Amino acid sequence: MSEETARVGERRHRETKQGWRRFIQNLKRSTIEQGRIFVRSKMAVAGLAIIVFYILMALLAPYIVPYAPYERLYMADGSWASLQPPTAAHPLGTTDSAHDVLSQLLLGSRIAMFVGLLGAFMVAIIGTTFGIVAGYYGGWVDEVIMRVVDVLYGLPFIPFVIVLVTVLGASVWNIILGIALLYWLSTARVIRSEVLTLRERPYVEAAQAAGASDFRIMGVHILPNVIPLSALYAAIAVGYSIVAQASIAFLGFGDPTIPSWGVMLQRAFVTQAFGTAWWWVIPPGLSITLVVTGAYLVGRGYEEVVNPQLQEK
Amino acid sequence: MVLSLFTVITILFFLFRMVPGGPMAAITSPRMNEAARQAVIEDYGLNEPLWKQYLLYMWNVVQLNFGQSFYYGESVRSLVADRFLNTMSLMVTAFLISYTVGTYLGAQLGWIRGTTKERVGMLIVLIIRSTPVFWTGMIVLYLFSFQLDLFPLGGMRGMQATYSTTTQKFLSTDFLYHLALPVFTLCTFYVGLPLLLMRNNLLEVLSEDYIDTARAKGLTDRRILLKHAARNAILPVVTAFAIAIGFAVGGQVLIETVYSWPGLGREMVKASLRSDYPVAQGAFTLLSVIVITMNFVADLMYSYLDPRVRLEGS
Amino acid sequence: MKQASAEFDFDADAPLLDVTDVEVVYETSVGDLTAVDHISFSVDENEIFGLVGESGCGKSTVAQAVLGLLPSNGRVNKGSIKYRGVEMTELEKRELDALRWEHLSLISQGAMNALNPVHRISSQIIEAIQAHRDVPTDEARERAAELFETVGLDPERMDDYPHQFSGGMKQRAYIAMSLALDPDLIIADEPTTALDVIVQDQILKRLKELRDELDISVIIISHDISVIAETCNRLGVMYSGKLMEYGDLRDIFANPYNPYTLGMQNAFPTLRGDQSDLISIPGSPPDIADLPDGCRFLARCPFATEECGQEHPPLQEVAEDHYSACYHHDRIDTMRTEAERRSTWNRVQDDGTAVGVEGADD
Repeated sequence: MSEETARVGERRHRETKQGWRRFIQNLKRSTIEQGRIFVRSKMAVAGLAIIVFYILMALLAPYIVPYAPYERLYMADGSWASLQPPTAAHPLGTTDSAHDVLSQLLLGSRIAMFVGLLGAFMVAIIGTTFGIVAGYYGGWVDEVIMRVVDVLYGLPFIPFVIVLVTVLGASVWNIILGIALLYWLSTARVIRSEVLTLRERPYVEAAQAAGASDFRIMGVHILPNVIPLSALYAAIAVGYSIVAQASIAFLGFGDPTIPSWGVMLQRAFVTQAFGTAWWWVIPPGLSITLVVTGAYLVGRGYEEVVNPQLQEK
Repeated sequence: MVLSLFTVITILFFLFRMVPGGPMAAITSPRMNEAARQAVIEDYGLNEPLWKQYLLYMWNVVQLNFGQSFYYGESVRSLVADRFLNTMSLMVTAFLISYTVGTYLGAQLGWIRGTTKERVGMLIVLIIRSTPVFWTGMIVLYLFSFQLDLFPLGGMRGMQATYSTTTQKFLSTDFLYHLALPVFTLCTFYVGLPLLLMRNNLLEVLSEDYIDTARAKGLTDRRILLKHAARNAILPVVTAFAIAIGFAVGGQVLIETVYSWPGLGREMVKASLRSDYPVAQGAFTLLSVIVITMNFVADLMYSYLDPRVRLEGS
Repeated sequence: MKQASAEFDFDADAPLLDVTDVEVVYETSVGDLTAVDHISFSVDENEIFGLVGESGCGKSTVAQAVLGLLPSNGRVNKGSIKYRGVEMTELEKRELDALRWEHLSLISQGAMNALNPVHRISSQIIEAIQAHRDVPTDEARERAAELFETVGLDPERMDDYPHQFSGGMKQRAYIAMSLALDPDLIIADEPTTALDVIVQDQILKRLKELRDELDISVIIISHDISVIAETCNRLGVMYSGKLMEYGDLRDIFANPYNPYTLGMQNAFPTLRGDQSDLISIPGSPPDIADLPDGCRFLARCPFATEECGQEHPPLQEVAEDHYSACYHHDRIDTMRTEAERRSTWNRVQDDGTAVGVEGADD
């Protein structure tokens, strides 16, 4: 190996270390500092608290539910304990089918967290991948991807998922599929814009000159720099995914055998019981609202950490 | 725009062939007798190769022929046309109101940045945006209809109402009475995007040099806000409008369900639940067309509003 | 649309603009930062005054402070800014608005963005006019056309949008707009920075002509000393929020008294026609959040001594209409000679330690 090649190789090795090494270095060094900045924002902390609370709920639910979600409950005289307002025995009352609302709520958090986190994860992955590829390659690759994005924007989300569920069956997985197919569009667009500027950075040009493969450049130099942006959009996607699943379930396309907040609200609506049974309607809806708010606050808090100019005086 | 339409319709073609029961089930109702079934199979060329079916399908679509509803027995086209107006009356009204109110509030919030009022305002906006719209609908109905009995429980018109013309139908007080709650609920759902967008844009615009120029000229705050800041900040709100439509339609579907509003969305939901595939397909197609058209309109509006784009040629 | 213009009690004997002991402070997350530290200068009728200094020295802040255009976290903490005897820092917004553009107007840097892109240029000029005077639109349009001619632009293009003009044309349009109400004082903040040299030259010439034709005064703020040298008759040299040298421009250039000025002259081509090599001042200005004791220029001054480390020197009169802030005016002849040598400036260390002058009394 000539000295020249060795030098180039060494430089290449050094450069490929930069992106991720810097990222990990930053991660290690500033996690504490970032944590401190994060904690400064009361909102972000509140958001985090909410999310943690519901994650705990989801994890512990099977162990702490007082009743099975679809267990029929009876009054003292043997009749159904239907539409009972909150009491000590049933802190959130019962549904029209004499099921315990609290149990349903607790178990419903599992689906919510599952869909939320999985949906967000996929949106982040798919959106970021397409965004980086489109932004980095430019040319016809970019054109094609952006065309696809444009066309897909023409598909209204909920009707599309309805069709998907009609065709493929009512299961959580199909709803997640719908989310994966359509929610990544905005993320991809934003990541792509970011990549367009990143592409011109000196270390990218240096890596290109040193002969690094496209894949390596995208993965090692560009990716670490867009992760904060992806994370923000992922946080927002958590909220959207949860609401999407709840909405689809509400319309009657959810799996009725799995207790989810959407299904709870669907039953409450279809039986017209929501006109009086506030204990049935408010907890699931409130939970959805809280989780979505919390996820957004966490995302926003993280954004402030990464983007110091956003911090309030 | 044409490309989008074309692609979407093609996607639909393939999607609906995948319903349980195959393409046959998509166009023949289980209630049909054998003769009718054969007739339809002939019509749609289900015995022909795929590409022929596709061409037939496209031909039908262009003629706005979506077949007959399994459930109602009438042509999908007339059904969908009827529901279309109902949907638009609700959606457009809500859109107009929420975009007007949203941009106004957004500008105000942007102008008072840093104050406690602004922080509180933003938190309220966040919470409203996080609330699932159908739940808001239920709560609103619960409060204003069930409990306070101020508004009807849903539907588009009362039992006793009769009309002779369509215009009369849409302008009557009975209609407006029924419109109130759904529009209110939809507005809470729609208002978030223009509000936040306008606020963000305003903040960006306020740091531009020409705002300093305006202040140096000694103009009143109000004039600076309206003629200079807002005028520039509103441009991206218009484009975002396009992105919002896709999700706005979803909200529309949910609200129509909650309020039993006889629109396209509700029809599609019911049709899907009933396996009335022709109606589902027709309704979805039309909803898609609405979204794509609105996107296109938004593009046009943007190029009109921004002289830099408009006068590209000069 | 016309605003109520307040009646002002102008003092006929007072200078046009009198800035005394002004301190401007910015509130930031790291505390209060002083961007302008007790600056005093005055501008009279029919004068072009230049404010020169490196980026970040606070000269733009001075302009903003005068016009009341400081960002929301900035404020004039101390001092007075008087326009014809009227104390501007005490005016209500309404009164300040009445003064603005009528008496003091602004040409800001980056005319690129100083004109609103969605409005026609004519309407922006007319807006300026009608905000202060009860003038019907057609009359305002005539005036706008007049102004266009004054700055050498074709009045036919008055109704164009800003993006249809080139950089130089935009700047001229801006100047036209600033003249709309016949102001007495124009503050030009880096008026030619974004323009190429030829256009720059034209604009500066025009500004000088306008001073004579229209009897206005101009404050030109620039980091480019050659721009200042070409147009101004009086000058203030700013560094890190302080005024280092101030007074009649020709006298300052012929007989500079301040080491910073000496350094600056070296860094710009052919100011006096006899420099062939450019010598730049090593180092950079101090961090405004962490100001050192003593003279602000200490770390980069090849002539600094221990005495300079106690307090920043006050402005002293060294000749008629010529002030400088330095403790070593007595050594000025030596300093002038030494400043011309590159080796002098190489003595400045990066770690900011003061480097003594050979043969100086310590």
